[in-house]
Amino acid sequence: MRIAMISDIHGNLEALTAVLSQIEQQEVDTIYCLGDVIGYGADPATCLDLVDKHCDLVLMGNHEYAVIGYLSTESYNDSAKISVKWTQAALSDRHIQLIKGFPFDHAKDDLYFVHASPNNPGRWHYILDTKQAAVAFEHLKQRLCFCGHSHVPAIFAESPGGPPREKVGHDFVPNEDTRYIINIGSTGQPRDYDPRACFVTFDTDTSDVVYTRVEYDIATAQRKMLDAGLPGFLSERLAVGR
Amino acid sequence: MPEIIVKYDDKVVERFVTEKKRISVGRTNDNDIVLENRGVSRKHALIEFNDNAAVVIDNESLNGTFVNNRKVTEELLRQNDSITIGKYTLIFKTEQDADPDDPSGFDGTMVLNTKKHRDMVANDQLERQIVSRYGCSVLLGMENAPFEEVELEREVTTIGKAKFVHVPARGFWMSGIQAKIVREDNTYFLVNLGKPGKTMANGEPVDRHELKNGDLITVGKSTFKFLQGH
Repeated sequence: MRIAMISDIHGNLEALTAVLSQIEQQEVDTIYCLGDVIGYGADPATCLDLVDKHCDLVLMGNHEYAVIGYLSTESYNDSAKISVKWTQAALSDRHIQLIKGFPFDHAKDDLYFVHASPNNPGRWHYILDTKQAAVAFEHLKQRLCFCGHSHVPAIFAESPGGPPREKVGHDFVPNEDTRYIINIGSTGQPRDYDPRACFVTFDTDTSDVVYTRVEYDIATAQRKMLDAGLPGFLSERLAVGR
Repeated sequence: MPEIIVKYDDKVVERFVTEKKRISVGRTNDNDIVLENRGVSRKHALIEFNDNAAVVIDNESLNGTFVNNRKVTEELLRQNDSITIGKYTLIFKTEQDADPDDPSGFDGTMVLNTKKHRDMVANDQLERQIVSRYGCSVLLGMENAPFEEVELEREVTTIGKAKFVHVPARGFWMSGIQAKIVREDNTYFLVNLGKPGKTMANGEPVDRHELKNGDLITVGKSTFKFLQGH
C-alpha cells in the first residue's frame, strides 16, 4: 500500500491543491494528513473541507488545538496569536466540530503517525535535534514514526546500541533493524529554505520513503493573506521558505 | 579533522566529521556513514585516513564507487573531491591517506539503472579510452572549443587567442596568452596569465588552480574538460 502524507498546510489553499493534484498522479492508496491544516493562511475553511474529503486520516495539530480553545496561545508569537483569532472567526461551527473529532495519533503495525512527537502528543514537543529525538524514541513503540510540526524535512535514525543519527529529509529506504522518526516537512509553509510545497509517500511493501516538492502559486497565496489582513511576515516567509 | 559532506540531489543531508583512521560507507547501520538507498551496497566502500592523505576503496560494490565521475577501485582523495555512491555524493574536505583492506559478498543491492548512472558509467569508459590512447592527461573540447582533444604531455601548455599558443581559445576579450597548464609530475595546475576573470575553473575565476579529473576550464569563451591521465 502506498500512503501519501501531508502536514502543516496552514490554510494555504494554493499549496494544498497543487500537492493534491500531484498526489493524484502518483496513484497512492490513501492520503493521511498529520495536522495543522489551519492557522497562518487565508483559506482555513476550504483547506479543512478538502482535507476532510480526500484524507482517510486527519490528525490533530497544535493550531487546531488552539482554535478550538484547548491550548492557550499565551506562549505564541504575535503573528501566531493574530492568526489563531483570525482563523477562529473564519471557521463555522461545523468546522469546529470536525476538528474536535481529530485524533492525536494513529498506530498501525510498525507505523506511527503523529503531528509533533510520540512523547505525549498533546504537548506538541518539537523534534529538532538528536537530543530531542532520543527522548521521542523512548516514547515510540513502533519502528517508523511520521510527523510534521517543525516544517523542516528531517530523518532521525536510531540503531541498536548507538545514539540517534540525523539527516536532512530525502528519499531513502529504512533499514530493518533501525527505528526512524521521519519529519515529512510542510505543505503550506516550508521552513527549510525551499519554498516549494512538500509531501511524502511511503510504500508499505517496499518501504520506500519519497519526498516530493511541488511548485505552487505563492504570489496568490500571499496576496490573499495580505487582503485578509494577516501579518505581512507570514506571507513574506512563504517566498523564502523560512 | 577530515569532513565528509553527504549530498543527495545536490542537497546536503549530513556532515560527517571523524577522528577515526578508517570509516566505512554502506547501506547497513554498522557503517560509519549510513546511506539508506538500494543502489548502495551493505558494505560499499571504505575511506582511510592517515597524517596527510585519504584513500577511498571500493568494496567490490555492485554499482561502483566514482571519484570525480571516474569509476575507481582505490583512489587517493584530494580536497573537494566528489565521491559518488549510488544516488549520493560525498564531498571530501581536507587532505589525508592510507592502505587497503576488505570484506565482501553479494548482499542484495539493486543494480542502479538510472539514466544518470548509465551515462556516468558510459562517459567514464569513453574518457578512459581517450586518456589511455594518448597515454597522458587530455583536454577535451567542449563549448566553443576549436578542437576535440589536445594532449597535455608538455610541462607547460599555453592557452589563449595568440596564433602561437598550444591550445587556441575563442573570444575577443582576453590576452594573447591568457592561461597556462603546468604539469608537475602527474599533478596539473591551471594558471592565469592574462586578463583577470577570463580564466575559470568550474565556473569560478582562478589565478592558480590544481586540476582534478573532470574539471571544466573556461578561457575566454571556450570551455575544455580536463581528463587526468595515469
